[in-house]
Amino acid sequence: MTEYAPSLVRPSVRNALSRLERKLSSERVFGIALIAPMQLLLWFLLIIPTLIVIYLSFVRWEPRMGVDWWDAPFAFLGNYTRVITDVRFWSALGRSAGIVVVAVTLEFLIGMALALFFSRSFPGKRIMTSAILYPMMLPWVVVGLCFYLLFLDRGPVNYVLTQILNRPINVEWFKHPPLAMTTIILADVWQWTPFLFLILYSGLGALPKEPVEAAMTLGASRWQIFRYITLPMLKPVILIALVIRSLEAFKIFDVVFIMTGGGPGTATETISVYIYRVGFVFGQLSYAAAMAVLILVLVTMITRMGVRPLEK
Amino acid sequence: MRKTNWSQALGSGIRWLIGLLICIVVMLPITWVLSISLKPPEEWVAYPPTLVPIEPTFSNYIVLFQPGNPVGGVSEMVSAAQPVTRAFVNSLIVVPIATAASVLIGFLASYATVRFQAGGATLPLFVLTTRMFPPVAFAVPLLVYFRMLNLIDTQLALILMYTGFTIAFSLWMMRGFIEGVPRHVEEAAILDGASPWRVLLTITLPLVRGGLAATGLFVFILNWTEFLLAQVFTSREAITIPVQVSHYVGAVGRFYGPMAALGIVASIPVVVAGYIIQRYLVTGFTFGLVRE
Amino acid sequence: MAGQPNILIRLERLRKEFNGVIAVEGLDLEVTEGEFLCFLGPSGCGKTTTLRMIAGLETPTAGDVYLRGRRITHLPPQQRNVGFVFQNYALFWHMTVYENLAFGLRVRKVDPAEIDRKVKEVAANLELTDVLHERARRLDLSTMQRVAMARTLVTDPEVLLLDEPLNNFRPGLREAMRGELKRWQMHLGRTMIYVTHDQEEAMTLGDRILVMNAGRCAQLDTPRHIYEHPANLFVASFIGRPPMNLIDVQYTVEGERAFLVRDSLRLEVTPLRDKIERALGGQTNLVLGIRPEHLSFGPFSEEGWVQFSLPAVVDLVQPLARKKFLDLKIGDTLIKMVVPGTASFRQGESFPLGFPLHRIHLFHRTTEEAIL
Repeated sequence: MTEYAPSLVRPSVRNALSRLERKLSSERVFGIALIAPMQLLLWFLLIIPTLIVIYLSFVRWEPRMGVDWWDAPFAFLGNYTRVITDVRFWSALGRSAGIVVVAVTLEFLIGMALALFFSRSFPGKRIMTSAILYPMMLPWVVVGLCFYLLFLDRGPVNYVLTQILNRPINVEWFKHPPLAMTTIILADVWQWTPFLFLILYSGLGALPKEPVEAAMTLGASRWQIFRYITLPMLKPVILIALVIRSLEAFKIFDVVFIMTGGGPGTATETISVYIYRVGFVFGQLSYAAAMAVLILVLVTMITRMGVRPLEK
Repeated sequence: MRKTNWSQALGSGIRWLIGLLICIVVMLPITWVLSISLKPPEEWVAYPPTLVPIEPTFSNYIVLFQPGNPVGGVSEMVSAAQPVTRAFVNSLIVVPIATAASVLIGFLASYATVRFQAGGATLPLFVLTTRMFPPVAFAVPLLVYFRMLNLIDTQLALILMYTGFTIAFSLWMMRGFIEGVPRHVEEAAILDGASPWRVLLTITLPLVRGGLAATGLFVFILNWTEFLLAQVFTSREAITIPVQVSHYVGAVGRFYGPMAALGIVASIPVVVAGYIIQRYLVTGFTFGLVRE
Repeated sequence: MAGQPNILIRLERLRKEFNGVIAVEGLDLEVTEGEFLCFLGPSGCGKTTTLRMIAGLETPTAGDVYLRGRRITHLPPQQRNVGFVFQNYALFWHMTVYENLAFGLRVRKVDPAEIDRKVKEVAANLELTDVLHERARRLDLSTMQRVAMARTLVTDPEVLLLDEPLNNFRPGLREAMRGELKRWQMHLGRTMIYVTHDQEEAMTLGDRILVMNAGRCAQLDTPRHIYEHPANLFVASFIGRPPMNLIDVQYTVEGERAFLVRDSLRLEVTPLRDKIERALGGQTNLVLGIRPEHLSFGPFSEEGWVQFSLPAVVDLVQPLARKKFLDLKIGDTLIKMVVPGTASFRQGESFPLGFPLHRIHLFHRTTEEAIL
């Protein structure tokens, strides 16, 4: 470290400086250097954009207005009040919530059943376990494409239904709101049940065997063991799985975009699709920003509530 | 209740059967796509639909890369969409680079937060919260950004965004692996006079190779399949495969054959990647919440 | 006539195979009601597997298990009414102590008032009343152990099966718990089968001990008999601390006199000549066994004592509190000896060494069976 000319620097400052020097030990410098790239990215790509979004939500800006965004006129809470009174917003939110509830519940039930089924050994189990995992790995767009093809009017689903019900079924799945919703939920369930399965299966496998054996010697039937022992011990894992999956399901976009584009009309317009449309199709970026901020706040609050039981 | 070896074998057999049925049901949808991708145009919407193509053909696949090529009569429609090659090239450039960057930066940062609590004890959790928000929300301001920087429809923009958005995964996934490296191994090296960098690169890095691979493959899958941001930020130049697929569904309308073919081709890399890491998935996915 | 003991459990030619590895082979056993029986052996000898087969947690590959004359070989554990205490207690850690104890009755749909009564009664017996409403995961080790035991007692099982329950205790506490266990068992009058690898533990606790080795029964007897008359080399070397000295010797005869010989070391065993020769049937390769605590320094004047032909040289002295362990060398052979703590020895000192002849143990070198 440099020498300070004694006459220029007061003793107290000199002490402080040498303390600083000691503090900046190589370890800390090293640590800071290591996280620097990540911090850079975070700030550049996530934190500052969030701030910009918040700013945008308080102004009125549309790119086609030809005005630079920092010159845009202030709208204060104008955007927000507009959002709150926007019926389409609330319907979209409701749809997203509905999808989450229905799809995740199905995924959980089926996933749990599968996890239980696969917890006993049988020939070919290993191959089958990895085989049923792969829907998760497919690109979402491909899943959308896949189900789009399945539910075409002259597609296999209608065909199979015709055979089973012995009546000509020529449903136009994508033209009726409830049916369109169904196809989306089915696509999500197909793609993500393996995720729930995976977590529950790992969880089951990690449970200690001995309490189950103890319960057996105490006279408990298989069902009683599952209900009083296995399930309670799995609770933390189940909770995290549900939280993660619900968060993701809430953001559902790709599949909807490909399969129905949000239609027919707005029948399958989830919140992500709506924000996308407002921001990038209609160009009302400010309004989209306000909605995004609102959603951010909502999701954070709900996640907090869901995670609280885990913090014990 | 007497359980003989016989009835045990029967039980296993039944399970095998049910397992097989489950696998078939799961495979069915994608098999259908595969089937269409191999069918000539006449069969695409033939009714009753058949699972196995009557006259299998690869023309759909060829047409993806050479739209002008009049193979099997499929050529005309694809003039509406561009050759898929560009999307492939873009994906093959953007995704690996972004993945490598994400894993590298994530590894360095993870090491710093695990060993030195760099940036504070809550930094990792803070990073995690970034995953909670819909990417749609970030797309808006990022658009503003990149427009200013003239980076719309460029590979660089995608690389930056993909790296940034997956960094949370890299950080958290590497955490477990780094914690698995005993400190005293590193401390021994330090006592021998190695600098912190050297310790990181020559001692820790080799020991977490598996973790790097697993994280890398996971992030690769995420990046490869990413759609929303690519959709917003690219059009012709930097288009990626997922966006290309959506174009096919939209612009190409009723040409299901090439659509299906594209879907299949787009899926292959991730299915392979997923297959490689599924071993890690099955054993490690409990977030340390189940107590012994 | 009160004397006739009840056979509670019977194992008949029990055999268990895992993936081609034989864990238990040809096991026959009768357990008397009310007895404290120990399964003793090194890890991997099959004792835990046998215990689990009695409980129903494993199914035998061959052979049968009988409870009160009823064949239960393939019956699931739920229907056997046995109590099992696991090595790591296997408490339901998400439940309270009360709920743990009540579990067995709850799944049998017993009336809640009755459950309450029984749980409180057993809790009182094992001094658990204060912790009844604690979560199981917050308890300390010895409390957990008592909860594990109490849990089995609530359902009034036919027999208590314990799988190395004291393994997690440090030595001092372990001995104390041993005493408690023995006292409970005698007080409650329950039949207990106790698995351990600690021979001292089995010797102090058991009415009878089943010593197992590599899946087979090595000896089934009272502790005293096992100590005084080990049936084979394995039991001889397993029981006793420090373990019995075992020396390979040859049996030779010179005229009227019989000797055990090893290199230049000789021991005269003429008084036992007839016995030995009858049992030997022409064989001459034997193993001589003598416990360290039975050795003595000569010279010997009384009847019945024999002395080694070479003197013993002190090689190493290991002092303990009330005794000392000596490593001695006779010729090239290493022998261990126990002496009172007050005696003092120095390395290099040599003494004549011998022991009472009736304390001798002789084993066939190849079959490892005891002759004497």
